[in-house]
Order: sequence, then structure tokens, then C-alpha cells
Amino acid sequence: MSSIRFDAVNKTFGGGQIKALEDIDLDIADKEFMAIVGPSGCGKTTCLRLAAGFEFPSSGRVLVGNSEVTQPGPDRAVVFQQFALFPWKTVAENIELGLRNKNVPRAERRARVAEAVGMIGLDGYEGAYPHQLSGGMQQRVAIARAYVLDPQVLLMDEPFGALDAQTRVVMQEELVRLARRNPRTVLFITHGVEEAVYLADRVAIMTRRPGRIKEIVDVKSVREADHWEKCARIEDVMDRESFIHLRTHIWRSLREEKNGAEH
Amino acid sequence: MPLRRRSVIGLTTLALLAALWFLATSVTGMISPGRFPTPGDTWTAAVQASVRGYGDATLLIHVLQSLKLVALGFAVSILVGVPLGLLMGTSLTAEALLNPVFMLLRPIPPLAWIPLAILWFGLGDTAKIMVIFFAAFVPSVINTHAGVRQIDRPLIEAARMLGTPRWRFIGEVVVPGAAPMIFTGLRLSLQASWTTLVAAELVGALAGLGHLLNLAQQDLYPGMILVGMIAVAIFGALTTALLGAVERRTVTWVRTAGEPA
Repeated sequence: MSSIRFDAVNKTFGGGQIKALEDIDLDIADKEFMAIVGPSGCGKTTCLRLAAGFEFPSSGRVLVGNSEVTQPGPDRAVVFQQFALFPWKTVAENIELGLRNKNVPRAERRARVAEAVGMIGLDGYEGAYPHQLSGGMQQRVAIARAYVLDPQVLLMDEPFGALDAQTRVVMQEELVRLARRNPRTVLFITHGVEEAVYLADRVAIMTRRPGRIKEIVDVKSVREADHWEKCARIEDVMDRESFIHLRTHIWRSLREEKNGAEH
Repeated sequence: MPLRRRSVIGLTTLALLAALWFLATSVTGMISPGRFPTPGDTWTAAVQASVRGYGDATLLIHVLQSLKLVALGFAVSILVGVPLGLLMGTSLTAEALLNPVFMLLRPIPPLAWIPLAILWFGLGDTAKIMVIFFAAFVPSVINTHAGVRQIDRPLIEAARMLGTPRWRFIGEVVVPGAAPMIFTGLRLSLQASWTTLVAAELVGALAGLGHLLNLAQQDLYPGMILVGMIAVAIFGALTTALLGAVERRTVTWVRTAGEPA
């Protein structure tokens, strides 16, 4: 069981000067896909960094499973916005590092790396270095590096933000396939509303800074009622009335935040 | 620019300089041979130093002696300097402990260590290695430290997230991450090694290129002075080129197309 729980979390930076997060209460159930959207600078990435153990709350607690987060670890794999692949390691070596750290035997490592490389469709690129790959390929390696650990929790920080539109769509469809086939607890940070609605079970909308949870939108029940899984392509899902309705609702909610920032 | 074209330009520059030299000294006599030697004088001095020897040893012996000391001093410097820089870059405690010492040691010109070195170790090799060490380990430490500090933070976080144990983290993340800066430090250390070696040999030595230069100055022998200088230039450049070759073989991942190799 690997739920993520934000329990009355506050986070300030600069010795209390900048209030980044205010009273965040958020429960992400085991194997649930939660997306967080919000205006830029609202602290959504900070939420992910707290769950990852890169930062710690100023007050309140962040729990994964039933224990408080005290440090980063392979049970909570992170996919970074800027990929963060080791430039001096090949594709296979990048994917393999976490398994080596867990002392997985060599033969098993090989099999799992090969499986992960196959999953992201990069067969034949095992020996390539990151700088020889396109941005989309690099991000797939970063995702494989996280997936290969078979983590209970997957933390994704705008993982498709740096990709071009076509690649992004392919990656989103791939992620949906992976997430449905092998569900994990996912915390997905994005500023893309459509992406959030397409991928997530629930979407949390944050206010502008200091970030609070403004509203949580249930997508899963709508998705299942309207059988989005029958749509092969993202654009078919996006054409559905139920999708448009949810998207517009979230847009409007975010727009209020943006307008608020201007006044 | 293609390598061939660059080589042609480089060689042309050198040939032009040589021609100017020849013109200014041998042909027009604008510069008197007592101040700066003619190419002929220099050649004679080079032959003399190579065949008969100068200052109790042939040019080859002087060169080998200097090369040996540079290699030893440089090796000691980087064996101490790079780990120290890694330690300071990865541990705040080490940084807090060592930084004040550095602040104090850095302003001392390396050559100011020469008297103490001679007092401790006499005119032998050890004194020179000590002086080279004091000059050359500083750039290694500083650049390694800076290199560690400027590793992309997401890379460090990725390594921690993947549960990388400390020694593997240093060996597979910190060292390669800092490698370009480490090599910058090594290059500066190598330069410092040559500079201080020649200076140290000038002050007191029984062999070596600095010793040869010192004797040639006492003998008022411009041709030999130039031979010594050219030898330092050539072997300084050769060792730097060797280090560059090692760097290109090692740090293969930062080079991109269009960047000068």
C-alpha cells in the first residue's frame, strides 16, 4: 500500500519570507493517478519535491505509505522535467543504475533493462549516450529509468513539458497505456489542463502563491462512465463532450486564479 | 575550421616569425647579437648543448631532469588536489574546515616557498617537487571544487532518488560531472608546474632547463638562453597537448558537433 498524504503542509522559503505552500491537505490513494495543475509559481513542483524527499515541510507532514518522508529513495521514482539523465552513461547504464544500487543480480538486471528498453521502444539504442538522442527519446529513457525500479510511487514533474507537441502526444498515450496496464500511485505535475484530464484519475487545482488546494476534480468516474478507454487516440478522447466539460471547468477555475494575479 | 587548414595557418605564422627573426638579426642587424641571438647562433648553441653538453650535462639530460620533476610534482599535486577538491565539494564540513586554510595559503606566491624548500631539502629533487606542489595543487583543488559545485542539481537529485551509495555517487556522478572542470584545473596545474619548476631551478639546481638558463645568463650566452627557452616552450606545449589528448579520450560526452576539438 503506497498512498501519498499531505497533512496540513506549509512550506516557506528564504527564512520564512516566501510562503510557497499553505495548508496543503491531499490524499492520493494507492494506485491512484493524481495530477496537480496550477498557475506557474504556485508551488506544485514543491509538492512533488516534498513527496520525493528533496525538500521538507516547514510544518505539517508528508507521508508515503504510512511513514513520513525523510529522504529520497528508489521507492519513489522521480521523472524530472529536464530528464536529468547522466550524460556520461549510456541509455542502458542510465536505466541500470537504480537496479545496481539495489544490488539486483547481473542477469536479472540485464533482463529488466532489456524489458524497459523494449517498453519505451528504444531497442538498438542501449549503447547510445543521451546527447545522441532527441528530447523525446531522452524523456522516454528517464521514464524507463523510473519504471524499471518497479516503484510503488511515481513522481512526475512536467515530464512532457520540454517536448514538441507531436512527441508529447505519443508520450501521453504511452503513459496512459503503462498506467492502465501496471497501475502505480502517481503524482503528476503539469500546467497542461488537457494533459491532466487525459491522464489522471483526479485533478487537483492549486491557487496562485501561496499555493493551496482549491478544488479536486474527479475524472475517473466520468472517464469510466463515458468509456474513454475505447478511444484509441488522445484526440478522440478530447472530442468527447465529457472531456470538454471537465477541461472547461478546470480552465475556468484556473482562469480565475490568473485574473486574480493581475489585480 | 578543418584541421589541415588550421595547421597550415599555424605553420605559416611560425614561419613568418622565424623570417622576421632572421631579418631583424642576421640580415639587417637591427637587433645586436649581444641582446638577442641570430638563428645561426641559436642553432650552434643547440648543437653544442645536444652534442657536447652545457653545464655538466647534455640538453637531453637537462630536458629529462626537468620533465621528471614536472611529472612528479604534477602527479603529487593532482593526487592531493583532486581528492581534496572532491572532498570540499561534497562535504560542507570539509569545505568549512579547509577553506580558511586556503584563504591563508593562496596569496603566498609559490616561489616564496623556495627558501623554505631549500632549507628543508637542499638543492635536490625533493625541494623542487615541494615547490611545484605548492604552486600546482591549488588550481586542481579550486577547479575540482568548483566543478563539483556546478554539477546540475537534478543530476545529484536523480542519483539520490536512485539510492546511489556514497562511493558510487562520487565515482559515477561527482567525478564525471566535474570532469571538464577537473581537467581545466589539471591544465592550470601543469602550467604552474612548469613555471615554478623553471623558477626553482633558476634559484638553485644541479641540472635541468632552469639550471641551463641560469648558467647561460651568467655566461652572457644569448644563443644558449634562447635554446633553454625554446626547450621549455616545446616540452611545456607537448605535455599540455598530451593532457588535452587524455581529456578528449576521457570526457567524450561533452563534445558536440561544431565545437573545436
